[in-house]
Amino acid sequence: MTKVHIGRSQRSSTTGFVFGCSVPAPEVPLFGSFVRAPIQQAHADAIGLIYDITVEDDQFVGPMISADDKMDEDEYETYLQDQRRNRQVPIEVSVLTVGYRNASRYIHALPPQPPMLLDKIFYCSDEEIREFTARFDFLQLILASAEAPADQLMASALTKAASVQADKEQFLKAAGRELAILMGRDLNRLQQLLRRIAL
Amino acid sequence: MALELNKLTAKIGELGKYAAVRNRDLDKRVEIARTVFRSVAAAPGEIVRVAESVSKRFRWAGAIPTEEPMLSAFDPVSRPARLNVVAADGSQIQPDRHNLALYYVINIGSIVFRYGVSSAPDVFRHPDAFFEDEELYYEDEGSLMTTEMINARRDVREIGELARLGGIEMRTAPTVALLDNGLLLYISLREQNPRFGDEIVREYLAQLYALKASGAVVAGVVDRPRSANVVRLVHLAGLEEVEIAPEKLREVNRVYKHVTDASLFNFLGSGQRSAVFVLASPASVGEYADAGHKIYFFFLNTGESGNLLRVEVPEWVASNKEKLDLVHTTIVAQCKTNGFPYVLARAHEEALIKAADKFAVDEMVASALANNGVPFGVSLKQMNKNLLSGKRRYR
Repeated sequence: MTKVHIGRSQRSSTTGFVFGCSVPAPEVPLFGSFVRAPIQQAHADAIGLIYDITVEDDQFVGPMISADDKMDEDEYETYLQDQRRNRQVPIEVSVLTVGYRNASRYIHALPPQPPMLLDKIFYCSDEEIREFTARFDFLQLILASAEAPADQLMASALTKAASVQADKEQFLKAAGRELAILMGRDLNRLQQLLRRIAL
Repeated sequence: MALELNKLTAKIGELGKYAAVRNRDLDKRVEIARTVFRSVAAAPGEIVRVAESVSKRFRWAGAIPTEEPMLSAFDPVSRPARLNVVAADGSQIQPDRHNLALYYVINIGSIVFRYGVSSAPDVFRHPDAFFEDEELYYEDEGSLMTTEMINARRDVREIGELARLGGIEMRTAPTVALLDNGLLLYISLREQNPRFGDEIVREYLAQLYALKASGAVVAGVVDRPRSANVVRLVHLAGLEEVEIAPEKLREVNRVYKHVTDASLFNFLGSGQRSAVFVLASPASVGEYADAGHKIYFFFLNTGESGNLLRVEVPEWVASNKEKLDLVHTTIVAQCKTNGFPYVLARAHEEALIKAADKFAVDEMVASALANNGVPFGVSLKQMNKNLLSGKRRYR
């Protein structure tokens, strides 16, 4: 289980939550990543998928842009490297809740409670992703979402989940069958999605 | 909303009118101060001798001119191709008797910026927690350390970090160490606790000495300076020598009320620095001077919207033209981004303890107490504050 948290909850509801974090540019969270947040006084975890990442306004960057023509290229490069490698980029990350884990199992439904303010947010470990994606009922919650870009999020999540499976091909085939059931009435959309997950 | 803004409307309107009148009055006093300053600068006569005499006889935080003409305006020299700039800043979590446990945290952030090397600057963070009795209390009566005392400990760590980095970076190139403050510690520290004040100043001076020994150059930078040391000199110039006495010297606060030194140096062009002056405050010409670190200062127009910085340097920098030029040109180079030294802004950013950090430390403290079977809890007062303001604080 991953122990290092990646941010803290800023606001939340049962359908999703937003967390904030400050990380160097190379460590910015990825779209479609599985994350978890404690709920019910840490007796359970909400499981979610990152569907939006906003780099927040940073007033320090404006002067850096206008300083470009005040110094030579090498000098400016040193400032740029500091900005990119050392500075903590303020990020706001939106997560769609796709299930939760109680003491005994994973449930692909909305959790009874959202995470509380300032709760720690963690990446799901490979093992947690494998266990959570042993079934595909969570895809329905993605399809039903009004906020998240459902097709791209499903593609990213399934690709990520496939990468941690022992049999990646078998996993994607099973996912494809589930998608065919869920989206059988919209064959064009289904076809595009299947292409995205490279089936 | 607890604050009924409509009830403040009339008073805030008066505030605007009052500020306009105050500014008109201040402009008149500034004009007088500038005229006197120009005449003193044109014919300094005995003013240096008188100022030195006054600084020895009275507690007078004025300025003493140096060999540089008072109305000088110096352009920066060329920056060396290889140059290191280091900066340090600090922040703290103050002890709170309403919190889970009594402790305080000091975090020092620092940066090494290297000109002429194609690599990212190095940044460092040095957090430390203090919770033992001898760290929390002073003297035998068990008084909790004051905010000013903890700030002083932070200041010592800041200059200590500069000394550490200066010693390392001087091995590769000339190094300038910048501090986001003046170089004198708070004077009132001694009034609270003389023994603590003595100890802190001794440690601080030892770090200044370490910087000097390393060969690095140090400067303290004050943005939006409100100092009036040169104004006191201007006021002194208007007094007959025989009438100089403490009460006469204090009249500066009435004659030149709210006039600052910065208003006297409006003639500086972009990138130019003023003449160097001796800071004649008792600490500067007393124990700092005794230790070889008498404080000097000059003003510097950073070139961004005419922003004026006050720059303090110790005697061993002020008296060495090469070192003084290096400080000047380094600060001008560092101000190209937005008129304030980049490294100081970044050191501050690295040092800053945010509300979320404080929250995380409290969680760690709670966990440590629980692991050791120590009962804990915030005071009812703090609990109620949290309940009433918690959500709004964070969103």
